[in-house]
Amino acid sequence: MIASPRTAISRSPDRLISLLLLPVALIALGPILRLLGEGFGIGSGATLSHAAEVLGRDSTLTALRHSLATSGAGTLISVAIGAGFAFVVALTDIRAKGALVFCLMIPMMIPPQITALAWMQVTGPSSVLLKTLGIAPPLGSPQPLHSAWGIAVLLGIQHASIVFLTLRAGLRMIPGDLVEAARISGARGWRVWAQIVLPLCLPSLAAGAAMTFVTALGNFGIPAMLGIPARYSTLPTLIYQRLAGMGQSVLPEVAVLALLIGTVAIAGVLAGRLFLRRRAHGLVGLSAQPLSLSLGRKRPLVEALLWTFVVLTLVLPLLALVATSLIPAYGVPLTHKTATLEAWAEVLLNQPVTRRAYANSLLLATLAAAILMAVAIPLAWIMHRRPTRLTRAVDALVDLPYALPGVVLAISCILAFMRLPFGFTLYGTLTIILLAYLSRFLVVMLRPVQAAIGQLDPAMEEAAASAGARLGRRLRTIVLPLSAPAAAAGAILVFLTAVNELTVSALLWAGGTETLGVVIFNLEDSGDTVMASALAASIVALVIALMGVVQLSASRLPKGTVPWQG
Amino acid sequence: MAGLSFSDVSKLFAGTRALDGIDATIAKGEFVALLGPSGCGKTTLLRLTAGFEIPDSGTVTLDGQVLAGAGRFVAPEDRNIGIVFQSYALWPHKTVAGNVSYPLEVRRIPAAERRRRVAEALELTGLSALADRAPAQLSGGQRQRVALARCLVADPRAVLLDEPLANLDLALRAAMQEAFAAFHRRTGATMLYVTHDQTEALALADRVAVMEGGRIRQFASPEALYDRPVDCFVAGFVGDGAVIALAGAGAPHAGRVAVRALGQEIEARCDGAAPTHLCIRPEQLRIDPAGPIRARVSACTYQGGRFRLVLETEGDTLVAHAPARARVGEDMRLSLHSPWAFRDPASPAVLRMLQDA
Repeated sequence: MIASPRTAISRSPDRLISLLLLPVALIALGPILRLLGEGFGIGSGATLSHAAEVLGRDSTLTALRHSLATSGAGTLISVAIGAGFAFVVALTDIRAKGALVFCLMIPMMIPPQITALAWMQVTGPSSVLLKTLGIAPPLGSPQPLHSAWGIAVLLGIQHASIVFLTLRAGLRMIPGDLVEAARISGARGWRVWAQIVLPLCLPSLAAGAAMTFVTALGNFGIPAMLGIPARYSTLPTLIYQRLAGMGQSVLPEVAVLALLIGTVAIAGVLAGRLFLRRRAHGLVGLSAQPLSLSLGRKRPLVEALLWTFVVLTLVLPLLALVATSLIPAYGVPLTHKTATLEAWAEVLLNQPVTRRAYANSLLLATLAAAILMAVAIPLAWIMHRRPTRLTRAVDALVDLPYALPGVVLAISCILAFMRLPFGFTLYGTLTIILLAYLSRFLVVMLRPVQAAIGQLDPAMEEAAASAGARLGRRLRTIVLPLSAPAAAAGAILVFLTAVNELTVSALLWAGGTETLGVVIFNLEDSGDTVMASALAASIVALVIALMGVVQLSASRLPKGTVPWQG
Repeated sequence: MAGLSFSDVSKLFAGTRALDGIDATIAKGEFVALLGPSGCGKTTLLRLTAGFEIPDSGTVTLDGQVLAGAGRFVAPEDRNIGIVFQSYALWPHKTVAGNVSYPLEVRRIPAAERRRRVAEALELTGLSALADRAPAQLSGGQRQRVALARCLVADPRAVLLDEPLANLDLALRAAMQEAFAAFHRRTGATMLYVTHDQTEALALADRVAVMEGGRIRQFASPEALYDRPVDCFVAGFVGDGAVIALAGAGAPHAGRVAVRALGQEIEARCDGAAPTHLCIRPEQLRIDPAGPIRARVSACTYQGGRFRLVLETEGDTLVAHAPARARVGEDMRLSLHSPWAFRDPASPAVLRMLQDA
């Protein structure tokens, strides 16, 4: 009755496994803490005056301004797209919601540099698609996406699903009877939406916007592909260019830049959490009946609008990407005579760099998924069944390496692992990338497993204890099999995110440790657009296939496991 | 016999006393129900017996072995106590047979014997045909029986049942009650049964411990609880009827006492000095045109075969049974036969006496 299951037995063997928290905390949070130390001048000789000097430079201020402008505009575009879709999907009776949501999620799961690459194949004078259709602008006219607006629009499309997911979750918390009460009071249509639904979901919308802003701020792939050719630098690309051009000597300087972007991001994260905390206020405990407004005869029109948008922002760029990957050389139009799979064969079978990148990325993604799966189940169990101040702190901070921009984590990892005791260094090895991935993606793995373990009836384990099973055996025979599906879904998500990853590895790679993200970027940078497109298209195919696996198994997974199912 | 015993057991949750000085001894093979409103501490007492909670003070012993207390604590997995949870807690990834055989696997029982004992337990609970089903494919009553079979298969020293019938519908509840009783007769296991449903507790148990506010108010046979409650809480919680304060009482003699209540001099049963309250069950009140008590009907509900009347007298409310429907507002006369007078330890009269002493 009063007995809450969480206050149950705690005995000495339990305390031993709490030791698991220590390495997890070290790997997940250590690098970030190391960076904070660097910023305050601990252990590097750098002082606050150095920080002030870096922050006062024109290049820093310009990059900061560009970062804020592109992420701000991108966030507005994301809000427009994401909120539109969320309201229609969550509130109305349109058909094929599952397929629509799946398509809306794809841009978020595709690596940003691939998004940029694909869009560049739609616009501009050398677009294969436009040439094939005969509507390409004349040679020499500028690529319209190589601009601040181009960056903002693509950031907006890439991150619209964040707004969508947060807002939809908020809308689902609004009890249907609130709307029914408004309708019985005589309000209808727009009035219900504007006076009841909108005010209630505003905190969710604000939280989604804050998260989108933070993600856009940390995005490296899009400003790198679109901004660097136009000499339009944002903070992440500035850090990348400084580090790539000058090497380790600029570490103290880029650490300050990383702290700057980290500070802006944390402000965004905190704002998001604040809004999220407000949204549940006053809505708890009421009967939650999902809202379902009938669109009537307008339904086909609304559906057509939504799907047209999906075709324009997802199908068209991907078609353009595939078109480019099928021509023998850049600039040749695609016809049934010129079409060739040469680039695909070259990328997947012949080129040592791309093959190595595939091997590296798949190895890193597999290792990260496997290690995190092994850690996440006992960790989530401890956090849920034996909460202490330490586990709550880990729970609150574990978001940080994922929420903070990738460049911040990359710089943190360089600082933390470059000079280890006994003259040992991890810089330039696959291990440093793996450690960075473990830190960054722990939360991606942990949350689904936490959801699954949170839904496990504690009586399941108590029944096993009564049957005589000790802790180890209970974890192995009861908790593991019951949380395995969620862990598998989490592992696929980690795998997906790790394969897509560019920002962290762009700063951590060295000859021989290239990842897929890095190679696409380098191929495009050196003008090998056709090969870059073939490689990118193959990755998109892999990503969509893996997402499909998660989607198909969603009905068998505990609620809350698949992020886009909610 | 030794059985299960609690001695001065207390448990605090965030400063509130969930259990407050529990003293009780349950004989080997006895079927005991813990009855009380929600929040009374009955589930805490059960979980403490299973080992999922540790008492803050006091001792729990089973068959002479100290389970908890005096610096000792036997982990749940070493207690060999079976428990049936309210949610049944069947492992969804194991079949019915897999669930039942788990305790034997943990105990490293050889496969052949394991199969035999699982078959036996399934037979006993009437589940033999469902051995290969998954828990999700079973009905509520079947799940309940799997949970029972799983808890019995390892020959536990005691069986704990946590509101096992709360999630079943009425018809199934009656059937399962019979199954529990029959099962207890066949195995002779010591059983501790938590429930908030008094019909269930009175029907099944050899003895019932009525709990309230973390204390055992009365621990006695069902008929004693009904006939001779020790305080106002038990008198009001168990069974139907009325509890009224006495205006005065004479000296008891041979289990009888003359008391003043309802403006009358009434003869009542009692077992101690200075009773303060009277417990009047409906069958102790008779509608009697020559009776001394005047009352007015304030409610009349049909209870199948008879009517339950709520009657207002000057200052007190009574409950009586009547063979025919009565009008609300109708005046009646009643006579009273052998009600039970008792001394409520918390009543103002007793407090006054304590202060005087």
